[in-house]
Amino acid sequence: MSHDKSSPDHLYHHFYDVDQQYETSKLGMWAFILTEVLTFGGLFVAYTIYRAWHPDMFFNANLLLDVNKGLINTIVLIASSLTMALAIWAIQLNKRKLSLLMLFITFLCALGFLGIKYVEYEHKFHLGQLPGEYYSYMGPEVVQQIHDQEKIDSYIASNNIFFDKETNRLYTMNNPHIFFSIYFIMTGLHGLHVAIGMGLIAWLMVLTARGRLHAGYYTHMEAVGIFWHLVDLIWIFLFPLFYLIG
Amino acid sequence: MSEEHHITPLKTYLLVAGTLFFLTAVTVWASYIDLGSFNIVLALLIAGTKAGIVATFFMHLLWDDKKNATIFVGSLMFLAIFIGITMTDTEFRGAVNPEIKDPINKRAAFYNSLPLTDDHGYPLDKEKNHHEGDKDHH
Amino acid sequence: MSGTNQNYLTHPKGIMSWLLTLDHKRIGLMYLFGGLFFFFIGGLLALGMRYALATPEADFVTNDQYNSMYTLHGAIMIFLFIIPAIPGALGNILLPLMLGAKDVAFPRLNLASFYLYTIGAIFFIYVMISGGVDTGWTFYTPYSTESHTNVMGTTMGVFIIGFSSILTGLNFIATVHKMRTPGLTWYKLPLFVWALYGTSLVQITATPVIAITMVLLMLERLLGIGIFDPALGGDPVLFQHFFWFYSHPAVYIMILPAFGIISEIIPVHSRKKVWGYKFIAYSTLSIAFIGFLVWGHHMFTSGQSVLSQIIFSFITYFVGIPTGVKIFSWMLTMYRGQVSFTPPMLYALSFLFLFTIGGLTGIFLGAVALDIHLHDTYFVVAHFHYVMQGGTIVAFLGGLHHWWPKSFGKMYNQTIANICAIGVFIGFNGTFFPQFLLGLRGMPRRYATYDALGSEELVAQYAATHGSSTFFSGILGLSIFIGVMNLLWSLRKSNKLDPGTNPWGALTMEWTHTTSPPHPHNFEEEPVLEHGPYDYDKVIVQPTLKK
Repeated sequence: MSHDKSSPDHLYHHFYDVDQQYETSKLGMWAFILTEVLTFGGLFVAYTIYRAWHPDMFFNANLLLDVNKGLINTIVLIASSLTMALAIWAIQLNKRKLSLLMLFITFLCALGFLGIKYVEYEHKFHLGQLPGEYYSYMGPEVVQQIHDQEKIDSYIASNNIFFDKETNRLYTMNNPHIFFSIYFIMTGLHGLHVAIGMGLIAWLMVLTARGRLHAGYYTHMEAVGIFWHLVDLIWIFLFPLFYLIG
Repeated sequence: MSEEHHITPLKTYLLVAGTLFFLTAVTVWASYIDLGSFNIVLALLIAGTKAGIVATFFMHLLWDDKKNATIFVGSLMFLAIFIGITMTDTEFRGAVNPEIKDPINKRAAFYNSLPLTDDHGYPLDKEKNHHEGDKDHH
Repeated sequence: MSGTNQNYLTHPKGIMSWLLTLDHKRIGLMYLFGGLFFFFIGGLLALGMRYALATPEADFVTNDQYNSMYTLHGAIMIFLFIIPAIPGALGNILLPLMLGAKDVAFPRLNLASFYLYTIGAIFFIYVMISGGVDTGWTFYTPYSTESHTNVMGTTMGVFIIGFSSILTGLNFIATVHKMRTPGLTWYKLPLFVWALYGTSLVQITATPVIAITMVLLMLERLLGIGIFDPALGGDPVLFQHFFWFYSHPAVYIMILPAFGIISEIIPVHSRKKVWGYKFIAYSTLSIAFIGFLVWGHHMFTSGQSVLSQIIFSFITYFVGIPTGVKIFSWMLTMYRGQVSFTPPMLYALSFLFLFTIGGLTGIFLGAVALDIHLHDTYFVVAHFHYVMQGGTIVAFLGGLHHWWPKSFGKMYNQTIANICAIGVFIGFNGTFFPQFLLGLRGMPRRYATYDALGSEELVAQYAATHGSSTFFSGILGLSIFIGVMNLLWSLRKSNKLDPGTNPWGALTMEWTHTTSPPHPHNFEEEPVLEHGPYDYDKVIVQPTLKK
């Protein structure tokens, strides 16, 4: 059981040395990232196929989202990614207080992100721009009531699929609830990851404050860092795909 | 630690973050220019570049064991397979049965019973009643 | 190797030391008994269905009960037994031993994986109590969005078990990469390790997709999100793409470890170096990869585009190449070896025969034109039972008999085990071969009754074939049951083996470097590699069976 290298407290019994433990944890983390990419991947597939099928509906529905809020969130997340990376940089140089500060800023950015997301969701809930059958927003961007009999006749004659004969309504987009379903599921799952990330960052702050993490052992921070950057990375795609459909 | 890990200089991190902010600005700016179907290509190109930068520098893939980068690239490859092959179905239907050529574009039934709303989501009930009254006159 | 009384089964003691154990061997055993329990339940459901089908009319169960039975049989067998059985049970026990490691890379994750499995299993039990589920294990939309049975509970169970599977796969990948004892290079790994590695790659890549699919299905039922429901503008065929992007690779999650077991059993019991080591190793990886490109061959009648029909059909045939490479390598391993007809070897030989039939009938089904005729008939049922049961479960039973003395330090009655192995072979063929004929005659699957399917003459033919299938299913069920009981009976106190015993004369590290049952930390001293796993041409090792 004995081996030449020293056995610090943080070395688990089944590893030979700290390096093996560190490399193993990182490999495990990357394998986990692969599962995350494919979990979100399923949703990206749904997005791609529905956007390819209904490009106009996606374009029109995207106008109902607030670009500014999306942009602010993008900046917040990139900033948090930077501070997360700097937290690791600081701990590598054994600057524990700086590392703690950087983690705290990251935590605040995450909180800010979720706060903005909450405002955005709240607004959408209020308007009735909800996923699936709960969708109820029928504002002027979505549908118009047609009163002009001539127009009504011409729509019926041209078999316009956006026109509803029974209610005399002309829809600008068909089934926008699908856009909002995909929007809420993707940003919701992403938001869940942000929330989980906040929990992990809080845990890191406790570990760092207690002196458990230092230049010789910061595997937890490296792993959470990878997770946090993935959260940023997914948002980098969600932002143009939902908010910037040109 | 028997072997020191690579410590990325502060300057690199700041430069990377600067680039990411710059590309974010570019992608927003580009979305307001009408390039037709090239808009989405450009948006994804910029997003891909940003993602690549995050993975290479922030996630330390550049200095890591190459296995980790392989796993990451592998995940993207499987995602591409998933999207690509599924689209050989969804984009090319209807060669034998033309009636399934178009995706289902029929409005879901619940839209018919939804009241019209203003742009704050409030039902235009009064107006609606008014219009229905109009209809009776015709 | 002897001289110590410590082994992982008795040290430490107490129920909590089992429930909170981080020892991969104990977790493996818990998986084993969990899996066998659900194998028993799934088996009873199967026998119940066979009994119901012995006559054309609905006289044993109602149609709704029958629907629930086949759904639960499929879901339980796949999600609670076959997928976790080999990696979770045998893989957990053996992988670190074969690598000369003290444990898997992440022992706590390993325990978490087992508890996720348990929680998923509880969901399945809840579904059974609350009246079952009738969508089929495939949960095809739009029916699964409308069914009034417990679809939510089942999808939740599948979702949770998916995470258990992901954690096992992730753990094994890190273990194979980083935990090998010094000197154990990739080409010195036992082939079972290669198989588990390939399986783990598929597990972590495919399983996340079933997780998100189950989430989307649940949301479709809860919110009507309209992605899979045609009434809301969705596309039900898209669900099939999502489902099979996981579930076809899942077929390889089920069969690859079985290949690994066969690659271990055959050289050991033929006392000959494995033929084409690298061929077998790389064919494992290529099957794992090609498995991701062929999911659409389950959907030839779904209305997917002609282009994808052709692509999927074409790529499907490529699976046959690495599979053929493996079969021939195993046969050449046996050629001019000293083949001994021990219970594990009898199971391995059954595997070769049954899996080959399963694989060859897969070629029929891979052809679009033929599949349109055979789709959803008993031909398909027979085909996948030849692969899943004749392949995976037979290999699992073989592996269980092979490593039973290793895991428990006890030897079962080999004569009874041999008789059971032959009984499984006869019972299996008697049960499922007639189903090929039924399918070719047009008998659809998932039907509770068949008295109104055609002319009296046809129904009489169906009834006769179903009848013989039911008769042999009794032999099959009995053989497996007695076989497992024979194993369990060997656990009695009075039955003991010398800890240093190597009953098959194997050369892999779990036999040569540690006791049976192994030490709590696997190896008393750091294992030093002296020979490759199959070096029967260089090393002389005799089977020893000391009481």
